Amino acid sequence: MQMEQGQTQQGNSEAGQADSGQMMRGADAVIKVLVDHGVTNIFGYPGGAIMPIYDALYGAPVEHLLSRHEQGAAFAALGYARATGKTGVCFATSGPGATNLVTSLADALLDSVPVVAITGQVSTAVIGTDAFQEIDVLGMSLSCTKHSFMVTEIEQLVPTLYKAFEIAASGRPGPVLVDIPKDIQIAMFEYSTPIQEKYPQPQADPSKLDDALILLKQANKPMLYVGGGVGMARAVPQLRAFIQATGVPSVATLKGLGTIEKDTSGYLGMLGMHGSKAANIAVQECDLLIVVGARFDDRVTGRLASFAEHAKVIHLDIDAAELGKLRLPEVAIAGDLRQVLPALTTELAIAPWCEEVEQLKAEHKWKYDRPGELIFAPAMLKRLADKLPEDSVVTCDVGQHQMWVAQHMWFRNPEDHLSSSGLGTMGFGLPAGIGAKVSRPDATVVVVSGDGSFMMNVQELTTIKRRKLAVKILLIDNQKLGMVKQWQQLFFEERYSETDLSDNPDFVTLASAFDIPGRTITTTDQVEEALDHLISCEGPYLLHVRIDDAHNVWPLVPPGASNRDMMEEMDKQT
Amino acid sequence: MSYQLSLTLVQQPEVLERVLRVVRHRGFKVTKMEMQLEGDQGVRLAMHVESERAIELLTNQLDKLFDVIDCRVQA
Repeated sequence: MQMEQGQTQQGNSEAGQADSGQMMRGADAVIKVLVDHGVTNIFGYPGGAIMPIYDALYGAPVEHLLSRHEQGAAFAALGYARATGKTGVCFATSGPGATNLVTSLADALLDSVPVVAITGQVSTAVIGTDAFQEIDVLGMSLSCTKHSFMVTEIEQLVPTLYKAFEIAASGRPGPVLVDIPKDIQIAMFEYSTPIQEKYPQPQADPSKLDDALILLKQANKPMLYVGGGVGMARAVPQLRAFIQATGVPSVATLKGLGTIEKDTSGYLGMLGMHGSKAANIAVQECDLLIVVGARFDDRVTGRLASFAEHAKVIHLDIDAAELGKLRLPEVAIAGDLRQVLPALTTELAIAPWCEEVEQLKAEHKWKYDRPGELIFAPAMLKRLADKLPEDSVVTCDVGQHQMWVAQHMWFRNPEDHLSSSGLGTMGFGLPAGIGAKVSRPDATVVVVSGDGSFMMNVQELTTIKRRKLAVKILLIDNQKLGMVKQWQQLFFEERYSETDLSDNPDFVTLASAFDIPGRTITTTDQVEEALDHLISCEGPYLLHVRIDDAHNVWPLVPPGASNRDMMEEMDKQT
Repeated sequence: MSYQLSLTLVQQPEVLERVLRVVRHRGFKVTKMEMQLEGDQGVRLAMHVESERAIELLTNQLDKLFDVIDCRVQA
């Protein structure tokens, strides 16, 4: 990712050099820097303090997609970035425009997504006077961005924007916010292409690579725990080569899904709170845990003290601050996974363990046979995964449907599965799907949402209508905030406080108001044909599925419990 | 445990906020602090912090801040 980005910047910078010395407004320079960085699409919403930038955008060779809420614009930028690895860009005005970005930026921070957010600000002369639509955006940004800037001198505008792109995409990627007061946007200055700055990245220590190789050779039961960092590092081929050579069994986090091909020997799917039983047992049994681009999230580890308690740990990550943050590894290597993984790729003699893992896999297969006519969401999602064409992206929201997607669908690449993982933001799916469709127009993009999450950014249906985007929506409806209700049932004595959604709107009618056709299905015999139509029809479509609401997400590690203590299915059969 | 940190920072209006936010969020309490501008570009910050957590959990996060040039734990 860094190389590609660097090459793009380099190539365009040469063109940029030719423009050095040109007089222009700060606003025009903003658009020029974006174009020179290869940005083809921007997601945003105009307003008073960003009007000069929107004026500069008029007629510029970059496409802007108008969202209907700044959170939607920023989530679309995240979807755009996550589906391709390119840096996403969003615009918002000062005050409420900027505050509306916060949730999406926090989402990008926790999921390490390269995004540059540009916000208009009131003029420098009135900053700090509680001017109209003034809020301290720089202060607000400190906890939800990788880095942030406020530009107060026109000479700093272009160098700052260049730094923003470099920081967003380098090392562990993340969101960067650039706040630009209105007087800076309208100031005239002489454009000058800055010298590229590259932030130094950690280099793997060769002696630690040797230590890791020794642990690998000594292990009888090694296990690979793969996170989203592998995809972000563009190290999927190196990881697959490592698995092929070593034969090490593997599990993945929510963000790591798609990194390992589904039929890979010893691959047990997702681990953690709603992971597969085989995955959790194998991790608990292993004597060496090789953690690659992952960070011991509490949803992965369950009770940390008993997570893989007999295992030594090798932890590989670009972010040195993750090494030892929650679990002290025997060997910690900060570096580029594209270089670290090949250095550790070696043949191992672990056949008995591999057989044990395969046996676990066979013992704990998912079961899809359910009696009755009502739709069993896991079985439907499995069918959807099997039917999707090779070039597909699935985005999802947050809740039970999200976990069913993770458990029962399969993905060819990490860029094909976009799920709000670290922050767990309801409302992510629809705008992220819009961004994914813009960045990968030839891909089939399916938004799998729930009846709770869908309403959180439903205004973005207008963006689909306006741009005639062929985004397919599979709306899984159980008339409740299912995940919260499941916890109320299990851990709060069935006191169902504010989780009933039986007064949902008529979703098909709602979609039709945005010129999006759709239908509702309620029985198993309708599923096959409905999924086929969803995938094959031209243009956007909403398939509203009323599922059997008796089903919850299983298995489940109760909060604070060890991953060994998974609760098994306890739904009443309907 | 009590630790003494010595930081060199880039002179930015918000740089103290950045450092203090990380100190608070990562579970450390500032017990003493002294800050001084160094020329036009730098800031020197000496800070005593307390926490039950290992100091590396803080210094690793401070090292990640783009305006932190150097961060050392004094013996």
